[in-house]
Amino acid sequence: MEPSTELPRRWDPIVKLTHWGIVAAVIGNALVTEEGSGWHIWVGYGLAALLALRLLWGLVGPREARFGAFPPSLARASRHVGEIGRGEKVRHRSHNPLGALMVYAIWGTLLVVIGSGVAMSGAPPADPSAVRGEHGEGGEGEEHEEASAGPGQWLIAPARADEGGEAGTEDEGEELFEEMHEIAVNLLYLLVALHLAGVAFETRRTGREVLGAMIPGGNRRS
Amino acid sequence: MAASRKTGLMRRDRQTLLVAAVLVIQAVAAMFFVADAIGDLAADGMTRHIAVEAMIAFALMAGVIVGAWHLRVLLAEADRRERALTVARGALADHLSARFRDWGLTTAEAEVALFALKGCDAGEIARLRGAAPGTVRAQLSSIYSKSGVSSQAGLVSLFFDDLL
Ligand code: HEM
Ligand code: HEM
Repeated sequence: MEPSTELPRRWDPIVKLTHWGIVAAVIGNALVTEEGSGWHIWVGYGLAALLALRLLWGLVGPREARFGAFPPSLARASRHVGEIGRGEKVRHRSHNPLGALMVYAIWGTLLVVIGSGVAMSGAPPADPSAVRGEHGEGGEGEEHEEASAGPGQWLIAPARADEGGEAGTEDEGEELFEEMHEIAVNLLYLLVALHLAGVAFETRRTGREVLGAMIPGGNRRS
Repeated sequence: MAASRKTGLMRRDRQTLLVAAVLVIQAVAAMFFVADAIGDLAADGMTRHIAVEAMIAFALMAGVIVGAWHLRVLLAEADRRERALTVARGALADHLSARFRDWGLTTAEAEVALFALKGCDAGEIARLRGAAPGTVRAQLSSIYSKSGVSSQAGLVSLFFDDLL
């Protein structure tokens, strides 16, 4: 019966919903949807909405969800590394200083992925399952720009078109965005791997509270 | 008592989760609507249809922002109540142990008294403590005489008076 006002850490529902929504969208676009397809773009816009909501929440949300609670600071991060080295366990109300750097890195990368994706795709197609033509590219000399999408005419990834010796017809800006998209996506995979390693490490070091704070129904307060 | 407190907390959790889920859907809808309006604007230029669309898009975005603000207030209130409850629980625990000390209860008696206050009868207390029912009955009568009451109901009402 220790009276205590220190409640177990638990993220609010907006942080949880946007986190798991973003996870689902990233996995969906990485593994499920056809690259550049209507569904890929829809999922991408959904991801953008979730991230936008989380960033809004970083301004108006509860204290531990606000940006001020986890400033990106190398000094704090290196102090935190020192604490880990000495085996000290300091409780953090928000992300720990290393986690904070990771969060900003993931958000920044997601913004680049979204920005380059939107730059390539434009507005979301009215019907995501409709087959899209190639945008900004007149491959093989055929004029199948915007609305040319006939059934069965799947998107030819420009990378593959390049291999076919069509590099000259590629729109310069489009190519740049595509390059950005690809690089940012690969960076994102790397960051997510580090993120998972970080969560696993922190769970082993300080217990299940870190994980329980994010999973649905975790860290019950009663 | 513990059970009803728990469901109360869970109901509040569900309430905020529902509001949060609606807010997420609203944000996704707003994103698609805004992107669509911008796409139309780029394709057709400004028309009356697009002016209306832009107004709806603006209303949706404003709705998300206001909704986020409202949810934050809701969460802060729930958090404050939860903290107050924790403090009250701690205060009650402090109060109980102070009274037990005043009466000169032994450690074992104080534990039995706590079970008695929670409404357990002698048999249940014996089972919970792994003691003989006779021992518990003896402890209970010692508790009653030290606190100056004659029954379990009397013991409970002592603390009820303190609370009211
Ligand atoms: C985390 C989420 C995302 C992942 C993992 C992802 C992954 C990919 C990958 C691997 C490609 C193929 C790139 C290549 O090799 O050329 C691709 C292409 C594409 N992505 Fe994404 N993407 C994501 C988000 C988005 C978003 C938000 C949009 C736009 C709203 C978008 C629009 C596109 C488009 C239009 C292409 C086709 C590029 C082309 O013309 O080949 N993606 N995406
Ligand atoms: C595509 C995969 C993922 C991405 C992009 C991602 C991204 C993020 C981001 C941006 C945050 C910060 C949350 C915020 O403040 O809004 C976060 C936190 C977190 N994530 Fe993930 N995540 C991914 C997968 C996972 C998975 C699979 C798990 C579970 C094993 C997980 C567990 C956590 C936990 C426990 C936190 C909270 C850390 C803390 O309390 O400081 N994440 N993640």
